[in-house]
Amino acid sequence: MMKLQTKLALFNLLSKLVFSALFIGFLPLIIERINTRQTDNELIKKREEVISLISAVGIEPFIVSDTTGGFGSYNILKEEYISLERAPEDVEWNFIDVTKRIIDNETIDYRVLHYSLKIDGESYLLEIGMSLASITYAARNIRNIILVFLGVFILVTLISDLTYTARILRPLRVITGRLGNTSLPTFDHAEPLVTSTEDFVKLDRTLREMMRKIGELFRKEREITVNISHELMTPVSVLRSKLENMLMRENLDPAVESGLEESLRTLHRLKTLVNSMLMIARIESSQYMKEEIADICELVKEVTSELAPLAEDGGVTLILECEQIFMAANVNRSLLFSMIYNVVNNAVKHTPSGGRIEIAGRERDGRFELSVSDTGKGMSPEQLDRLFTRFSNRPDPAGNSTGIGLAITKSIADFHNIAVRVISVPGAGTQFFFFFPVNSL
Amino acid sequence: MNVLIVEDEKSLAGEIALFLKRENFLCDMAHSGTEASEKIAVNLYDFVLLDLGLPDYNGLDLIREAKEINADVSFIIITARGAVEDRVKGLDLGADDYLPKPFALAELHARIMAVARRKFRIQSPDITLGEFVMNASSRKLMHGESEVEITKKEFDLLYYLVINRNRVLARHQLYEHIWGNALDDQYDSNFIDVHIKNIRKKLNNHAPAPWLETVRGVGYRITSDS
Repeated sequence: MMKLQTKLALFNLLSKLVFSALFIGFLPLIIERINTRQTDNELIKKREEVISLISAVGIEPFIVSDTTGGFGSYNILKEEYISLERAPEDVEWNFIDVTKRIIDNETIDYRVLHYSLKIDGESYLLEIGMSLASITYAARNIRNIILVFLGVFILVTLISDLTYTARILRPLRVITGRLGNTSLPTFDHAEPLVTSTEDFVKLDRTLREMMRKIGELFRKEREITVNISHELMTPVSVLRSKLENMLMRENLDPAVESGLEESLRTLHRLKTLVNSMLMIARIESSQYMKEEIADICELVKEVTSELAPLAEDGGVTLILECEQIFMAANVNRSLLFSMIYNVVNNAVKHTPSGGRIEIAGRERDGRFELSVSDTGKGMSPEQLDRLFTRFSNRPDPAGNSTGIGLAITKSIADFHNIAVRVISVPGAGTQFFFFFPVNSL
Repeated sequence: MNVLIVEDEKSLAGEIALFLKRENFLCDMAHSGTEASEKIAVNLYDFVLLDLGLPDYNGLDLIREAKEINADVSFIIITARGAVEDRVKGLDLGADDYLPKPFALAELHARIMAVARRKFRIQSPDITLGEFVMNASSRKLMHGESEVEITKKEFDLLYYLVINRNRVLARHQLYEHIWGNALDDQYDSNFIDVHIKNIRKKLNNHAPAPWLETVRGVGYRITSDS
């Protein structure tokens, strides 16, 4: 994973480097071509000068009547030379090539112009040479200047690229920052983004519109839960108060008394059911705050001390092993309490006398993991599959459980990004695992 | 104590009034926000039981209004809306407690007593239960000079029965009082039986406690004269 800004800068740098490498690779060739052409032009110009000199003063001053019958002249540093000598009749030369000359025991490469000319019926051969050493030296100088220039160019453009991309990508950072900070259900309708980049304006508009719609949906859902709660709980409340007042009358017939109590118990079940379903709806529509920090081991201790009397009465041993302090951030403490409580309470209910329940908290692979293991009757794979489905667990005959507890546990875990895993062996026991997200403290 | 019941559901208001009168409260009723607002302006109440779901009035506004007239009035919000933020908002505005519907009348009684004790700094009198003496302020249960070591939960359970003495409380009522609505789903009648069993064991180590009765098929009751 890489930041967009880094990617753009890297691409820019790479393309510049590739271009520069190509350029540097071809540079000697280019310089050589330019140099050769320049030298050749120079040589031709010199040839014209020599010819016009000869036509002005005649050939005689250049011809020495010795055996060779030739003329030769080097300048002091042997960078150039000119020679003029008689040539056979039939030679017609006009070309430029590279020739090695040995002068004072020193081999020097020359670019040489060969030219044959006829003066007064005699054939002469004119040679003008320029040393390649001076040419190569000039080429090296040019190359060095270009390299330094390229280096500075790449550095300067890299810095300006980085600054510029950082500037134009700023709106993107603002948008992602906003998205990251958005916590349901409190959407803040932030001001429209100020940017001259059309794409970002579009993105911002689309996202804000989406957030507004989601916010609207959440508001509606909240309203619905409030209304359902009000419509259902008001009559239940009337009934309950009436029945309770009746139960308080003096000298009630025992049969009436237990009948009233039974009705109240049924009403209690109805209330519990509605409350549980509303609770799930509220969790799923993020109506609960998630702003607390909770010490999970502390929480587990509270749960076990609540359930200890029940476990003791049922002959079940509760063992708690929390190896280290684990603080979970951005949580709803009382929801987490319910989440753990439901599972431990379930374990207590389903573990026969003489059994054990082990609750262990530990860090593994950088994540905190809480496990609840019992030696209860376990579950079949089919039961396990439908464990978190509402009402799939048959309510017990005493009418105590509504079979929705584990569905609540699951929705609380989802709300906190806690992964849940259950392993169960029929007849041997069940193990619940809670894997807390890494970003918790 | 003077109580105003603000509740648009007339039959519920009636049942609450019936119950509170039996507990020697003076009760007045208002079935709309406007009516409540008028009554609060004229009469001096110790308690207002306020339903937040009034059709004509935002209940939270009523709290603000009433507090301007009489800062000492105590509010207990009773609501069926069950919105998470209502509770926070209500308590922020100075409500003293919050009771979601449907509540037990016994619970309402306990809450009123708790607010009164907190607010008016009433030193709870010693309550005599047979050979035992209980005090809510010190949260101690004594047998003569020696203290009976009971847990916080056990004390709460016993005290709830004491406040509603001579009245049967069902197991689910006792459970609701101790564990509240959040753990409603985990209700188990056995919970209460286990706790009562433990309380009895601890009491019997000191002296017999025949005043803590089991009412078959219904629940538990404390019978006491005081």
